[in-house]
Formats: sequence, structure tokens, C-alpha cells
Amino acid sequence: MSPEILVVGGVAVVALIVLILLFKAIWRVAEPNEALIISGLGAHTKNELADSLGFKIVTGKGTAVLPGFQTARRLRLDSRATNLQVNCVTQQGIPVQVRGVIIYKVGDDFTSIANAARRFLDQQDSMNGAIHELFTGHLRSIIGNLTVEDLILNRERLTSETRSSAADEMSKLGLVVDSLQIQEIEDETGYITNLGKPHAAKIAAAARIAEAQRDQEATEAEQVAAAKKASAIRESQIQQAGYQAEVDQAAAKARQAGPLSEATARQEVVVQETRAAELEAQLAEQRLQSQVRKPADAKAYETVTLSQAERDARIAQAEAEARETELRAAAQASQVKQAAAADAESVRVRGEAAAAATKATGLGEAEAAKARGLAEAEAAKAKGLAEAEAAKAKGLAEADAIRARSEALRENQEAVIAQQLAENWPQIVEAGSKAFGNVDHMVVLNGAQGIEEMLAKALTLGGTGLGLARSLLAGGAPAEKDGASVNGAEPPATRNAIDTTS
Amino acid sequence: MVGRQGRVTGKIGPGLVGEVMVPIRGGVEAFYAYPSLPDEEIPVGSIVVVVEYSPPRTVYVARAVV
Repeated sequence: MSPEILVVGGVAVVALIVLILLFKAIWRVAEPNEALIISGLGAHTKNELADSLGFKIVTGKGTAVLPGFQTARRLRLDSRATNLQVNCVTQQGIPVQVRGVIIYKVGDDFTSIANAARRFLDQQDSMNGAIHELFTGHLRSIIGNLTVEDLILNRERLTSETRSSAADEMSKLGLVVDSLQIQEIEDETGYITNLGKPHAAKIAAAARIAEAQRDQEATEAEQVAAAKKASAIRESQIQQAGYQAEVDQAAAKARQAGPLSEATARQEVVVQETRAAELEAQLAEQRLQSQVRKPADAKAYETVTLSQAERDARIAQAEAEARETELRAAAQASQVKQAAAADAESVRVRGEAAAAATKATGLGEAEAAKARGLAEAEAAKAKGLAEAEAAKAKGLAEADAIRARSEALRENQEAVIAQQLAENWPQIVEAGSKAFGNVDHMVVLNGAQGIEEMLAKALTLGGTGLGLARSLLAGGAPAEKDGASVNGAEPPATRNAIDTTS
Repeated sequence: MVGRQGRVTGKIGPGLVGEVMVPIRGGVEAFYAYPSLPDEEIPVGSIVVVVEYSPPRTVYVARAVV
């Protein structure tokens, strides 16, 4: 390495370094978020705004700035934020304290950059203060045009009011409002709180209602469950008590078994003793029966039998006597009757003979007639006398018979009534069947049995049997009474009586 | 600037300061907008055409025939 080369190299390096330093000193580059404001020698923008503009605005590119002849200043185009706090009154006259934030930036067009550069180039840090002061006033007017509800809800109204109140002034300053946000509204009167209260109350009421309903349902379910539990417990207790009662009963039975068996045994003993006493009593009774009552009965029976036999004998005897008297009277009557007839005949014959003699002797017919009449009168008289005799005899006989029968009845009514009923049975049946004599046409529903029943009823309903018995008791059958008026006719009852007794 | 189309983001109408977003300088910027025809109302979301530009940030717009 020669020293010349080293020198040349050193010089070249130095020159390069110098060049770089010079370039760095001259060349300025505007970053995307800033504008270069170049003023000084030849700093003229070639645009329509250049006539009034005494400086060059460079955005987004590099440019050479001659040191000493020109100055380059950077204007930041970043968005900036400033906080606002304003005590103001809404459209409704409600005082509120509003805290908000405003986000703004320098406009991107050269006009805005020029306006902003002229105003804020040296006091970019104090821009926030100016904007704060500016917007404090604007916010009063903005909020004065809005209601609280708009403030809370209506962003469209807020931005619209912001634009209409601040647009021109911000244009003057070369600034653009990106956004105005209301962060907080403090409301001393409680308007906002009250605004929410109806809804809150509604929701709270709905919540309470729902809660109460659910609570009610839950309570109902719980109560139902409790009732079911209680019911189950009750049933179980009832069952337990029942079983306990059975257990107690069994225990009591077991406890009583001893005394009970003793009592039973005693009872058996008593029963046996009672039986023995009964047997003894029976024995005594039997003894009494055999020794006292049986002989007495035998004696009584003997006495009764004897007295009955005696009575029967007496009745038979009386009847026979009555019959005998009756027959004798009848025979006497017929005898008298025959004698009277013979007398009458002889008188008539004699009369006729006398009449014939008279007639023959030529006496008047009057004589003969008189004689005949006399004879007839005689005959009639004799006949009447005879009949009276006969009647008297018969009457006497009947009276005897009745007396005898009444005596017999006094002795034994029942036997006589039965006998008389038996004797007069044909008339009884005849009287019963008279009930059917009045019926023309009869339909019997249950056959032969029906006919039997009808007859039996007729016999009993007619009451003829009893009536007949009564009449017999009173003094013979009605046929007998009729027969009494017939001369010499014997009553059938008496005939039957003769048949039965003989 | 004039002839560019933009979208209304703040209602344009009489007595109001509207806002339109216009694509410009590689970005989209907001401009204060007034109707070019007096008493015209242009609702939010309409497409408008810039018919007049008043620096720094004010435009007069008309409804675009889309």
C-alpha cells in the first residue's frame, strides 16, 4: 500500500462523509403525518393558492432545503384529543355537567394546512388549550339545542349540531373535527335517573311478579309435598298403631290366658255341678211323676172315662125312650084315626040306609038331606075329634122327644152337634151349592183345585154349616119345622137318627 | 374536487350543515356540505356529486343520478 493511495482513499472517504453530511443537512423528508412548511428563498408553491402563500407546503415527499436560505418547519397532522368539561343547560332548561372529548386534526388540504400553519406552527402544544376554550363555548350552544334524551341517544343530532355550530370557526383555524364524544353527563336534578325509573320499576315489577309467581308455585309444590308427607306419616302411624294394638291385644290375651283357663275350668266345674243338680231335680221330678202324678192321672182318667160312659149310656137311654114314646104315640094316633074312620063309615052307611029308608018311606028329600047333613056333620065332628086327638098325642110325643134331646145336649153338646151335622150333611151341601145356582157362566183358572177351593169357600161363606148347626142347636133342622105342619110325615133327620142309633 | 362523487353522512338540507365523505388524495375526507339547489333535502346514505368546492372544507352537492 503506497501512501498516495492511502491519502487518496482517506480523502475519498472524507469527501463521501462530507457529501453524506451535506445531503443530510439539505434534504428533508415529510413523513405521512406531517407537513413541511418551507419558507425563504424561492419557497413558492406552484398551485392556485400560491399568490397569497409566502411559503411552500410539502407533504408525503422529500425536498431540498438550503440551509441559511430557507427554513423548514414541521406541522404535525396527527389527530389530537382534548377533554372538555362544561356546566351547561339543555333545551329543557335542565342544568347538566357534561364531560366529553373532541378529536380533531389539521386538515389534509393545503388550505387547511396553510391556515393552521399560520396560527399554530409555533404553539402546536398549546393547540389543545385553544380548542378546549373554543369548544367549551360551542358545547354550551350545542347542548342548549339538545334535550337530555338527544344527548344520550341521538348521535346524529349531536354531530349535526357540532357541525352547524363549529364548522366555520374550525375552517378558519384549518382544523377538522373528526369526532365529538360526550363521555359523561352529571345531572344534579336527577332527571336522567328519573328517566330510567319507569322502565326500572316496570322491569322490577315484572321481576317481582315472576319471582312471586315462582315462589307461589314453589310453595304450592312444597305444601303439596308436605301434605303428601304428612299423609304418608299418618298412614304409617295408623298402621303402626293398628299393629301395636294387635300386639297389645295378643299380649293381653296371653296375659289373660292363665286366668281365662282357670275361669274356664271353674266354669266347666260349675256346668257339671249344674248338670248334676239338674239331673237330681229331674230324678226328683220323675219320682214325683211316677209316685204321685201318674196315679192321680190314672184315677182322673178312670173317673172321666166312667163318667163319659155313664153319660153316653144315659143319652142313649133317653133317646131310646123318646123314640119309644114317639112310636107309641104314632101308633096310638093311627089307631084312633082308623077307629074314627070306621065310625064315620058306619055312621055314613047308617045314614045312607036311613036316608034310603026315609026316601023309601016317602019322607021328603029334606028329611033325607037333613039326615045326610047330620050324618056328615057327625062324621066331620068325629074326624075332627080324632085328628085333634092324634095331633095332641103327637105334640105330646114331640115335646117329650125335645125334652129328652135337650137333656142329652146339656150332657154332651159337641157330640150331638157333630151327629146332627152328619145327619143333615145333604141339606148343608145343597144349601152351599145354592150359591152356584145363581151363576150362569163361570171360568175357573186353576182347574180342579180351583173348583174345590170355590166349593169350600161357598160352603164356608154361605155360613150354612154353622147356621145349620145353630138352628139344630136351637131345636132341629128347618126341614123338621116344615115337616111338623105336614100330617103324619116323619122328618128325615129323625129317620137318620133312628138309622144311626139302631 | 368538482365532479367527484361522495356519500352523504350527515343530512343535507336548509338550515343544516351536512357532511359528505369524498374520496380524495388517496384517502376519504369529510367535507361540510350544502345543497346546490336551495331547499333540497338529501338524506343520509345518498350518493351526491360535488358541483362546487369552497376551500378549505365546504362543498355544494347535487343528487347523483346513479
